[in-house]
Amino acid sequence: MDPERALSPPLTQGAYYRRGLRAAVALPAVILAATFIGIGSVCADYGMPLAWAVLATVLIWAGPAHLILVGGLGSGASWLAIALTVGLSSVRLLPMVVSLLPYLRLQNRHPVMAIVCAHLVAISIWVESLRLLPQIDGEGRVPFFLGLGTGLLASATTATVVGYGLAGIIPHAFAAGLLFLTPIFFLLSLFATARVLSDQLAIGFGFFGLLLGALAGDGLELLYAGLGGGTLAYGLARLKRARDAA
Amino acid sequence: MTLFGSDLTPYIALILVGFLPSEIWRWMALVVGRGLDENSEILIWVRAVATATLAAVVAKLAFFPAGALATLPLGWRIGAFVAGVAVYWIGRRSVLFGVLAAELVIVGGAMWLGLR
Repeated sequence: MDPERALSPPLTQGAYYRRGLRAAVALPAVILAATFIGIGSVCADYGMPLAWAVLATVLIWAGPAHLILVGGLGSGASWLAIALTVGLSSVRLLPMVVSLLPYLRLQNRHPVMAIVCAHLVAISIWVESLRLLPQIDGEGRVPFFLGLGTGLLASATTATVVGYGLAGIIPHAFAAGLLFLTPIFFLLSLFATARVLSDQLAIGFGFFGLLLGALAGDGLELLYAGLGGGTLAYGLARLKRARDAA
Repeated sequence: MTLFGSDLTPYIALILVGFLPSEIWRWMALVVGRGLDENSEILIWVRAVATATLAAVVAKLAFFPAGALATLPLGWRIGAFVAGVAVYWIGRRSVLFGVLAAELVIVGGAMWLGLR
């Protein structure tokens, strides 16, 4: 430990939580809020009650799954078909949570805390956590993460209500802009967080893999591009490492 | 539509076909992911898969869009990606400027075409 840090008193769990909350008040929260303004207005368009829209934001906590659910129920698709598509769109949460777990240092925490932390994992917090958690002391990572997660959840929930109220009022061009925020923000965030070759390759393989996978037309393109593209990226990066070492 | 009236059906649907199929992956991650080391090979692979999936979701949202974005021709959406990525690299890796540039193309394009 560096001497400067040893001299300053250790931060309390509450202080780490507040640091996480403050970290949530940044660009990701603005983008997330704008995204959920869009999602809230879509919920209103499909005639869902406001309470439903808010509950869906908190419980599902994944934009694509949320949109698929509203769209599916609104168009009268079968529940089984909706469940399958929602499930498929959320497979990405598994590797995201798994890759975040070691950073959280959950070993001495109550199991319920692990479930709460896992629930808070979504695209935005995953990107931000991979960037910020390594700078936080081990014992402060769970409260910091909770602060970041609840902060983002609060802004998304507020935005859902605002978007619900604004449905039909937002000009078409801005509605299109709101829906493009998530794609461009996450693509650039991936650039900003990808530090190793395997991650950098994975961005390209995932992006173009989806277009390729969509040609199959079986609705599994996310799986092909994610699992296939990611594995290919890992394999190539590992080959290069082995060659560099030799 | 009575389905979306004051009855509980949409809420039951939310739990059964929205919450559970999504949340199950988070729970499974807790089961598989316990005790993994930050720098283990398997985790490097898992992170590559997560990154690729996220990039794929980005492409899906932009190239197979919903709602208002779908009315904007494909060329404009590709142009927005190009503008965003170019400004990000030119602007010393600024995510904010990249996002703003892309949004300018989308909102400007929709206005230019007079979409409604």
